[in-house]
Amino acid sequence: MNTMKLVTQNFKRSMQNYFSLILSLAFTILIFYNFLNVIFTDTFLILGQQNKSYIDSIIAVISIVLVCFMFCYIWYATNVFLTKRKKEIGIYVFMGLTNQKIGKMYMLETILIGITAYILGIGFGVITTQLFQMILLAISDISVEIAFRFSLEPIVITAAIYFIVYFIFVLKGYVNIVRSSVLDMISANRQNEYVKTKTWILVIKTIFGIAILITGYQLAIKEGKIGVMMNMAVVMNIVVATVLVIIGIYLMFGGCLPFVFQKLADNKRFLYCKERNLWINSVIFRTKKNYRTYAMVCVLMLCAVTALATSFAMKERYHKIIHFRNTYTYQVLSTRADMQGQLEGLIEQDNDIVYQTALPILVVDASLFATDFTQRDYAIVKYSDMKTLAKEIGEEFVYEELKEDEIIKISHIILLSLIVDRSEIKVMINGKEYRQIEDTNTAYLGYLQEQRSFYMVNDEEYEKLMSLGQQLYMYNFYIDDIYNFEASRDELQGVVNNSGEDYMGLVVINPHNSDIEWIKVMYSICIFMFLVFVMASVCILFMKLYNDAFEEKERYKVLKKLGFDSAVLGKAIRKELRVAYVCPFLLMAVSSYFSVHSLEKMMNTDLGWINFVSVAIIFVFFLVFYEISVVAYRRNAGVKE
Amino acid sequence: MNEKKIVEIRNLIKDYGVRGFQTRVLKGIDLTICVNDFIAIMGPSGSGKTTLLNILSSIDKPTQGNVFMDGMDLSKISNREMSRLRKDKIGFIFQDYNLLDTLTLQDNIGLPLSLSGVASKKCIEKTEELAEVFGLKEHLKKYPYQLSGGQKQRGAVCRALITEPKIIFADEPTGALDSKAGKDLLECLTMINEKKNTAILMVTHDAFCASYAKDVYILNDGVMKCRLSKGNSRKEFYDSIIDMQVSMGGDFV
Repeated sequence: MNTMKLVTQNFKRSMQNYFSLILSLAFTILIFYNFLNVIFTDTFLILGQQNKSYIDSIIAVISIVLVCFMFCYIWYATNVFLTKRKKEIGIYVFMGLTNQKIGKMYMLETILIGITAYILGIGFGVITTQLFQMILLAISDISVEIAFRFSLEPIVITAAIYFIVYFIFVLKGYVNIVRSSVLDMISANRQNEYVKTKTWILVIKTIFGIAILITGYQLAIKEGKIGVMMNMAVVMNIVVATVLVIIGIYLMFGGCLPFVFQKLADNKRFLYCKERNLWINSVIFRTKKNYRTYAMVCVLMLCAVTALATSFAMKERYHKIIHFRNTYTYQVLSTRADMQGQLEGLIEQDNDIVYQTALPILVVDASLFATDFTQRDYAIVKYSDMKTLAKEIGEEFVYEELKEDEIIKISHIILLSLIVDRSEIKVMINGKEYRQIEDTNTAYLGYLQEQRSFYMVNDEEYEKLMSLGQQLYMYNFYIDDIYNFEASRDELQGVVNNSGEDYMGLVVINPHNSDIEWIKVMYSICIFMFLVFVMASVCILFMKLYNDAFEEKERYKVLKKLGFDSAVLGKAIRKELRVAYVCPFLLMAVSSYFSVHSLEKMMNTDLGWINFVSVAIIFVFFLVFYEISVVAYRRNAGVKE
Repeated sequence: MNEKKIVEIRNLIKDYGVRGFQTRVLKGIDLTICVNDFIAIMGPSGSGKTTLLNILSSIDKPTQGNVFMDGMDLSKISNREMSRLRKDKIGFIFQDYNLLDTLTLQDNIGLPLSLSGVASKKCIEKTEELAEVFGLKEHLKKYPYQLSGGQKQRGAVCRALITEPKIIFADEPTGALDSKAGKDLLECLTMINEKKNTAILMVTHDAFCASYAKDVYILNDGVMKCRLSKGNSRKEFYDSIIDMQVSMGGDFV
């Protein structure tokens, strides 16, 4: 039998054994390819070049995350191949093959597996591109005709990245085989000598784990102090928090989990109760080997929850921004105080007005203002005007009459804001200090609110400040059919153009404007990432247990010889696997509260329910995979029903 | 013998292989094991020793014939009953100990009891009591890899005894032990047999090992060739086993 024949034979056998592994490798390729494909097709061009380039850059960032993910995955997969095959390969040593030759065989086999996974991944990837984009657009609520487009670049790029990473690990395996002794190869599959980890090491790990985790949680929701370097500090907080939480999770699984179970196992009165003796000892043994996997699964799930929360926060923010901008259809700014009637008449020629407001604003030169963030344009409005305006447009207005040194900032909605402590902000206007008691982003003044910084003061204070700047009048109209905005535009433009000496400006809001459409795509991509992360975490856990079961086969054989029936052993397996699923899930659920809370503050929105929903979705996934795992485990370990 | 029968084998036949190419491994075995018996079954490789033991311990099924254990016909009872029978009435000792490497010695010994749902307090008491008897008290917290072969095998004996079985099946129990450890173990088995009245069926090909039994059956080519019973001393019994082996010829190791 020549080498190639051996290789193909082994490959066929490994296809059956590693089917799940190959499938998940293929799945990774499929996802990666689909994302890349979005960049190289022009489906999103319909949203305009600006949006397309935003979307492309988001996808590029996500692709990098996916490459990292692929890297870990291939690492894991090739490692499984290596240890599993080493024992079989060891037999060839006795047949007189050199390590080099065996290494070559391993390489060929593994490359065949890699190619199979690639072909499967790309094959299904090409078939599903259209579906992928359709789903992406459907979730994004964008209607575009999608034609099937096939481009070679994503296939080539995927192949390049995948095979480079794959080859690195195959080479690593080759070197490993060439360098190992016969004894290593034969005993690669043999049970390691099992020792409990020393309790003091576990205690230290647990204490550090808890401390680091709590510090991480605190940092995640900590508010930065407004001031110089604030942005940096807040970003640093979040980065450090992420790193700390990841380290904390690893320490918890490496320390706390085995500590708890070792303590349980030491308590014989607790241990000797039905199947406990079996599964608790198994958990201790497995945790020692698997805690990294549990930690990774936990982190991935945490990413999933955060991705979903981001998605919903984005969606909500998008709608807010749209609502914000469309508060008024027409906004006119003028030095004249008597324009309302004229403008109303013009608009009503073609449109019905739903509501209209008019108010004076005091435009003050920026040099007279001293605020934490220097803006280009400042304006001051009166408390009583704003109260009336809010009532007219039906927005909430909850503020008490302002005191003479109090001020409210009327700001606009931005996509992301950093967590800052907004309690003691001072605003200086022409040397006088005001306490900013509130910062609202309710859309009182529509689009113009985005263009300058508005501050609300009490009426007397307004009168006092009058001398500092020029008073302009703002006329706002919201029409019944906002898509008919073109109809009145020319008339209004005419008035503005013929205003003569007076200053006048016109803003017309086009509801079709799509300059922020990319946000919608972003939230659908986030949903997708959620699914990718959830699938990744359950697949990794599933595969780990799937492979573990083979190692347990001997142990269960002994137990069966001793006369324990399958029902009892099955119960023990269920409980053991439950720990593997429940522990990462619980730690994720706790940690997700903090990550989502951090996001909540950043996006200034309530994401509590989405936190709950995403954890619930993951729970369902886990439940399904847990059941499948139990069946697969029992089969692989030879404990039939 | 008017003692109570524990195992009764009647005309046991076992064939292996597909139809037309069958090999008859056991060719009609009859054997009765009573309380307090200590039987060794000897025979050369391929004589059917392991097959017989597998059938007795219900790992394998006979082609013909019946095995009665504690009055029940093994071929007629349900899996559940079978498993209860194995759990409560039979103890197993294997050549390679078969202790679980993820459990401490104490957990290993207590496993059969705790899995049967016996109260933990009783489990702990019994494990300690047995460990005391077999000189394993200070090793209870150790894992199998930290124990010597002899200790492991004594641990396995404790595990087999913890459910107070009526019979112990031992498959080459000294096979992996050095002569000192082997001797200790056999003395343990003798003690169990005498003090606890537990019947022992031991399969071995070692005459020294077999000489600890009360009766030795020689199995050859699927049939019980003869039976030797212990007289006054073990030494004499050993010599007679050796004589028998010599008289039976070359393939008897």
